[in-house]
Amino acid sequence: MEVSEVKKLWLTALRDLERFANNKYWLAAQIAMNLADIFIFALVFRGFIKRDIVPDYLQYMTPGAVALASFVAAFSIGREVGMEVRRELVDYLLVLPMKRTTLVFGRILSGMLRGLVYQVPFIVIAMILLSPPTIGKTPILIATSIILTTTMSSLAIAVSTISRDFNIQATFRALTHYLLFFFSNVFYTRKALELRFPQPLPDIINIMPISIAADIYRWCFNYYQSIDIWQKLLALAIWGAILTLIATTIYLRNLTKR
Amino acid sequence: MTEKAIEIINLVKKFGNFVAVDNISLTIYSGEIFGLLGPNGSGKTTTLLTIATVYKPTSGDVRVYGYSVVSDGDKVRKMVGIAFQEPKALGIDKPYDLLLWHAKVVGYSGEEARKVVKDVMEDLGLWEHRNKYFYQLSGGTRKKVEIAKVLIQKPKVAIFDEPTAQVDVVSKHYLWDKIKELKEEGSTIIIATNDMFEAERMCERIAIIYKGKVKAIGTIKELKDFVPLGDTIELELASYADQHVLDILSRFGKVRGLGNKVLIYVNRGEEVAIDIIDALRRSGVKIVRIMVKEPSLDDVFFYITGAKLKEEIS
Repeated sequence: MEVSEVKKLWLTALRDLERFANNKYWLAAQIAMNLADIFIFALVFRGFIKRDIVPDYLQYMTPGAVALASFVAAFSIGREVGMEVRRELVDYLLVLPMKRTTLVFGRILSGMLRGLVYQVPFIVIAMILLSPPTIGKTPILIATSIILTTTMSSLAIAVSTISRDFNIQATFRALTHYLLFFFSNVFYTRKALELRFPQPLPDIINIMPISIAADIYRWCFNYYQSIDIWQKLLALAIWGAILTLIATTIYLRNLTKR
Repeated sequence: MTEKAIEIINLVKKFGNFVAVDNISLTIYSGEIFGLLGPNGSGKTTTLLTIATVYKPTSGDVRVYGYSVVSDGDKVRKMVGIAFQEPKALGIDKPYDLLLWHAKVVGYSGEEARKVVKDVMEDLGLWEHRNKYFYQLSGGTRKKVEIAKVLIQKPKVAIFDEPTAQVDVVSKHYLWDKIKELKEEGSTIIIATNDMFEAERMCERIAIIYKGKVKAIGTIKELKDFVPLGDTIELELASYADQHVLDILSRFGKVRGLGNKVLIYVNRGEEVAIDIIDALRRSGVKIVRIMVKEPSLDDVFFYITGAKLKEEIS
């Protein structure tokens, strides 16, 4: 009756994914709302933004929305993990015959899968509004999504276990969310950032993980014709590895500190 | 019952300044049903959650079949299964999905898992509730789902925290039988309860925990013997119990004469009763009826903890 840790990891991820699927109507509504918000916003701003700064704001913003979608969904696992910590439901997971690291990575994997599922409609919209990625660019798009959703999932989980207090959990989650959201080039081009903010802020914003991912998506959907894609991918992978490592350590510590 | 299943060694668990478990040491032997008896907040659940590796000891250790909960948590978790006091599920969970997942994680293959889950759910009367949301279930049904996890798992050490709280009388007796079956199949059982009747009916040995400390450990009989002069021998004689009779009986314990009835307060009542019968026969006193009454577990608990009912309520 011995089950391998890999199977337990997969079972843990599937459990969370099934819960996600059980909320399919909520999920559909959430996606529809997010899409509506983002595209209404983009359409309105398309008329306001100077063409010499951003030629087509909708096309500029859409790949960024793909990046944002990944972490909005990944954060949903954080919300659930936070609820489990608050209601002490996590105790059940802690007594199961599995390693704590299996549990942690199972949940991160689930967050990643949620993020990928959530991203699909945004990718389809990007393909319609811009152009589909070439066959050569597709593996890079997939790799980017996997790195980004894994990073955001682990970050969301770690932040949600910081405290048992809902207010503290929510504050930290919102803070992380908005820091990543705001300090990114999803909504503003580098040119716009340089016009508004002193250095080194524009440079910092451009090396933030969401910005890097958004740039890669822009390249994948052919908005940018040429960027140093390998450098960007490497930078995103480094970000991902560091944040995932920190987040995993925090989550493990929070799970086992009692 | 010689192999040590669980050894709790000088266990201390603090939450901030609050001492939940205060230097507890006890041994639970393989194959026994052991009870942790104590009021709410006495440290029972904290002790159980430490055995199950949810909490880390502040100091001391717990060994499960020789493995330390501090350094060998992974190995301990492979042997331990727990039914929590509060069922652990989200409102949107469904019992069948929950138990099927649990069965797979504890080692059943897909087909085996479906079979064992169906069997246990049918056995506990849960099958009709299998696709309901958890929030739609009654407290008792939720509790049964929690217990079903352990019955499916059949762990080497099965822990039940207040297993029959919120459960109706009929189901309560059925669950007790199921827990006993689990013991017959080889599990060591630990039950935490504040229900004296449950403890008396289920447990072979009991530790009375109060304010984080173990106040007494033993079989029910041993614990009852703790109460000085706790047994009452009620004698009904053929004639009035005169001073001569009372003098004979006062050699055995504290005596109270009530006409042709006499109450004698003694230790180990069932042994003393034989001596009393002998002594009265030799003196030519005819006994119509003799009854030995043990103290209840409530009496034992109040005697051992020194707790006052008022204190408990407040």
